[in-house]
Amino acid sequence: MSTKTSPDSGNIKTAELIRTQLPNIPFEISETKTYADLKIEPENFLSLVDGLNKNDALSFDLLRNIVAIDMGEAGLWAKYHFYSFVHGHGIQVTVPAKSTDLTIPSITKTYPTANWHEREAAEMVGLKFQGHPDPRNLLLEEDLDIHPLRKAHPLQKPEILQGIEDGPPGVEQ
Amino acid sequence: MTTWPESQGTSTSLETVDMTINVGPQHPATHGVFRMVLTVDGELVKDCEPYIGYLHRGLEKLTENADYRQAMGWWDRTDYLAGMCCEGAYVMAVEKLAGIEVPERAEYIRVLMMELSRINSHFMFLGAFGADVGSFGTSFTYGWRERERIYDLFEEVAGDRMFPTYFKVGGVTMDLPENFETRCRDILSSIRQGLEDFDGLLTGNEVFVERCRDLNPVTPEQAIAWGFTGPMLRATGLGWDIRKAEPYSIYERLNFDIPTGKQGDVFDRYWVRLSEMYQSARIVEQCLDEMPSGRVLNPDLPKTLRIDEGELYLPTEGTKGEYGVYLMAQGGTNAYRAKLRSPSFSNLSALRELVVGNYVADAIVILGSLDIVLGEVDK
Repeated sequence: MSTKTSPDSGNIKTAELIRTQLPNIPFEISETKTYADLKIEPENFLSLVDGLNKNDALSFDLLRNIVAIDMGEAGLWAKYHFYSFVHGHGIQVTVPAKSTDLTIPSITKTYPTANWHEREAAEMVGLKFQGHPDPRNLLLEEDLDIHPLRKAHPLQKPEILQGIEDGPPGVEQ
Repeated sequence: MTTWPESQGTSTSLETVDMTINVGPQHPATHGVFRMVLTVDGELVKDCEPYIGYLHRGLEKLTENADYRQAMGWWDRTDYLAGMCCEGAYVMAVEKLAGIEVPERAEYIRVLMMELSRINSHFMFLGAFGADVGSFGTSFTYGWRERERIYDLFEEVAGDRMFPTYFKVGGVTMDLPENFETRCRDILSSIRQGLEDFDGLLTGNEVFVERCRDLNPVTPEQAIAWGFTGPMLRATGLGWDIRKAEPYSIYERLNFDIPTGKQGDVFDRYWVRLSEMYQSARIVEQCLDEMPSGRVLNPDLPKTLRIDEGELYLPTEGTKGEYGVYLMAQGGTNAYRAKLRSPSFSNLSALRELVVGNYVADAIVILGSLDIVLGEVDK
C-alpha cells in the first residue's frame, strides 16, 4: 500500500519561517492536509502579501489560486495559495471577511494574475475586492447580480435566471 | 440629388478608423465556446477583450451537492481532452483528505492512464495548432489517428472513451484486461511513429517554423506574474513541473526529463509539448515494466464516505499546467467547498497582454498556442 500523496505536512516550517521573517504582522498558524495556513484579518492582509512577495527569504512569486467560501455566520472567507519558485515552498492564507463588511483588499497590483481569480471569487460568493481594476462578472452574465456559491443559493431552480434575491451568507431560503 | 458637405468631399488625406471584430463564441479558431472582441487598426490588434463563461456548468456547486464519490463524474468533464488527469487530481484530493490508502498496482495504473491522457491531449494540441498555423486538415488527421487508438484502449479498459470515470476513491474501478500490456506497447510504438510524423510535418516545415519562431516571446518573470504554469511556463526556460517539484502518486520513482524552451515564443510552446509526449511515453513504458500484481481497490473502504473537518489544496500537473483541487470537509458525505484551480483559466487571463501589438492572424496563432480547453476555463 502506498501512502505517498505529497506535499507533506513539513509545510508548517514555512509558516514558522514567515513568522520569524515578518514578526510585526499578526496572524494565526494552523495546519491543513497539505500546506500550512495563515489566518489574517483583512486590514493586515496587504502588508502580509507585500512581505510574502518582497522578502528574499520568502519570495512567494506565484499566486496559484483564490478560493472564496461562504462560512455562514462567520462571513465570507477568501483563501489564497502562494508558491515560491526560488525556495520551492507553498502557503495558504485565509482572509475572513465579516458578514457586516464583505470587503477584502485586492492584490492585483502585486500579483497581476489575481485579476480573474478575484473577479470569479467576487461574483460567486459576493465578496468585494477593494481596488480591483475591473470588477465585472466573469463567468456569469454581466448584468446578473446573484452569487451562486452562497450556501443560501438554491441548486437547480428555474427561478434563478429571473433573479432571486440572495440572503445573508449561510441562511437557508 | 445628394450633395456632400464641403469638409468631407474635399478631404485628401487618407485616414483609417479603428474597427471592432468579434471572434466567437462559435468559431473554429477559438477552440470551443470562447469569445474575444478585437479592436484593430488595419491588421494590428490594438485591444483585446476576452469573454468566458459560455460553458459554465457550476462544477463546484454540483460537487458540493453530491456525495464525494458521485461528484467524480463532473470532474472529468473539465479538461475533457484528458479526463483521467482530472479524475486523478480529484480522487487524490479526496483520498488525502479522508486518509484512504491506495494499492500499489492501482497507483501504477493511474499514472499510466494519466500519461496516456496527456499524450492524447497534446495530440489534440498538435493537430489543432497545426491547423491554426495553416496545415489545414493534415495535422488534424495525423493527430486523430493516434488519439483514436488511445481512445480505443480507454474504452477497452474503462468502458468509455472521453469520460471514463475509471478512477475511484481507493483505487480504480476494475483491473486491466488480459491483453492490455501487448496492446499498450503496440500503441506506444504507434505513438512514437506518430510523433516522428508530426516532427517531420511541422518542425521539418520551414514555413511553420518561420511563422512561429520569435512570435510573442514571454520572459519567465512575465509568465510567473501572469500565473502561467505547465508547458506555457516551461517554454520560457523555467523547468518547473509539479510531478518533480511536489511529486504525488508514484512519480518520484519514475525517470523522466522536463523539456524546456529558450525564449517562451510560440515555437517553444509547441516544442515543449512535443518533447513532453516522448517523456510521457517513457513513463508509460516504465509503468508497464514495473507494474506489480495485486489488488486495484482498497478492500477496507467504508460503505458511505464521510470526512471529518479538514481542508486541503492539492496541486497536480495537468496537461495544461497546474490543475489544483481545493476541498473543505465539515463532516458529512459532501464537500463543504470544492474549488478547481484550472491551468487554462490562468493562462488565458493574460490573453490581452499577449496579443496586443500583434497582427490579427498572429492573434489566432497565439490563442492556439495557449492550448486552452474551455471545459476547464469555465468549470
